[in-house]
Amino acid sequence: MHGTVMDPPSAAPPLVAAGDTSVPAWSLKDVAGRTTLLFFGYTSCPDVCPTVLADWARAKRALGSDTADYAFVFVAVDPARDSPETTRRHARQFDAGFLGVALSDAEVATVTRDWGFAVYPEGDPRQPNYTVAHPAHAFVVDRRGRLRLMLRPGVRGEDIASDLRRIR
Amino acid sequence: MRISRAISVASVSAFALGLSGCSGGDAAPAAAPTRASSPLAAHAAWSRSADSGATAAVYFSLVNRSTVADTLTGARSELAEETTLHVSMEHGGTMHMAAVASLPVPAKDSVAFQPLGAHVMLRGLRRPLVDGDTVALTLTFASGRSIPVRSGVRLP
Repeated sequence: MHGTVMDPPSAAPPLVAAGDTSVPAWSLKDVAGRTTLLFFGYTSCPDVCPTVLADWARAKRALGSDTADYAFVFVAVDPARDSPETTRRHARQFDAGFLGVALSDAEVATVTRDWGFAVYPEGDPRQPNYTVAHPAHAFVVDRRGRLRLMLRPGVRGEDIASDLRRIR
Repeated sequence: MRISRAISVASVSAFALGLSGCSGGDAAPAAAPTRASSPLAAHAAWSRSADSGATAAVYFSLVNRSTVADTLTGARSELAEETTLHVSMEHGGTMHMAAVASLPVPAKDSVAFQPLGAHVMLRGLRRPLVDGDTVALTLTFASGRSIPVRSGVRLP
C-alpha cells in the first residue's frame, strides 16, 4: 500500500454540507456503498490541492470501468471565498465526475472537531491573498463508512488506484 | 530533464517537506527558451489551466550555469494581480504555504520549482489560462539580472 493503513479501521465521522439555494445539501452518507476519497482544501490553493486533484484524475482513469464504485470529493474549508457553486465547478475541472462540496464556518468548526485536524487562515484573512492551512493527507473511507487509509500528497495516480482496488 | 537538486528549502524553513519528486508522472511540455546570453534560465515551465480570477502556480527548473551563486528575489507577470514566490510545506500533518522573499540559486546548479514545493504563485488571474496557452512572466535576481519565462498551460 502507498497510503497509511488505518488498522483497525474506525467509523468515519459525519461530514455534512448544507449547500445553499443553488447547490443541494451533501452528506458523506450520500456516497455510502462507494469507496470515497476526501480531501480538505480550498479553491484558491494553487499548488497542493490541484496536484492532489490531478493525481485523483489519473487514479480515476487508471481504475477504468470500475469508477462507479468510487467517489472523489473535494471539500472546501475556506467559507469566506469558496461558495458551493465555486467549489463544485472547481472539482469538475479536474474530472467531470468529481464532487466539490463547500463547508460553512459552522461546518468547518464541526468537521475539524469531529475529524481531529486543523484548518485556519494564514496571513490576514481580511486581505484577498491569505492562505489556508489544511490537512496534508486525503482520507479514504470504505463502502461501509470506515476510515481505511490516509494518502499523503504526491502519491501517483496509478498508485492511488492500486491502493483503492485493495480497499474492500 | 534530471533535476539535480530539489529546492533547498532547508534554507527557507526547518519544516520537513514531502518533496518526493514530481507528482503523478507529470511530463513537462517543451522548454520555453530564455535569453541565451544569461547564465540563468528557467526550463520546462508549465502551469495548470485555471479560471479568470483564480490562483495558479508556475513550475520550472531554474538553472544557473554561472560559477557565481545568485538569489531569486521576485517574479512579475501582467497576467495576475499579484505574483509571488511561495513554498508549500507539511508540518505535523498540516499543509501550509508560505510566501518567501527570496530563494538561493547555487552556482553551477539547478533548483526545481515543482508541485508540493517551491512555485511562483499567480493570484487574481486577469484572464483564464487554457490548455495550450502561454503565461509570460519575468524572474528577477539579486544580481540585477532578470530573465523572461514562457510557461506552457495544460489541462489541470
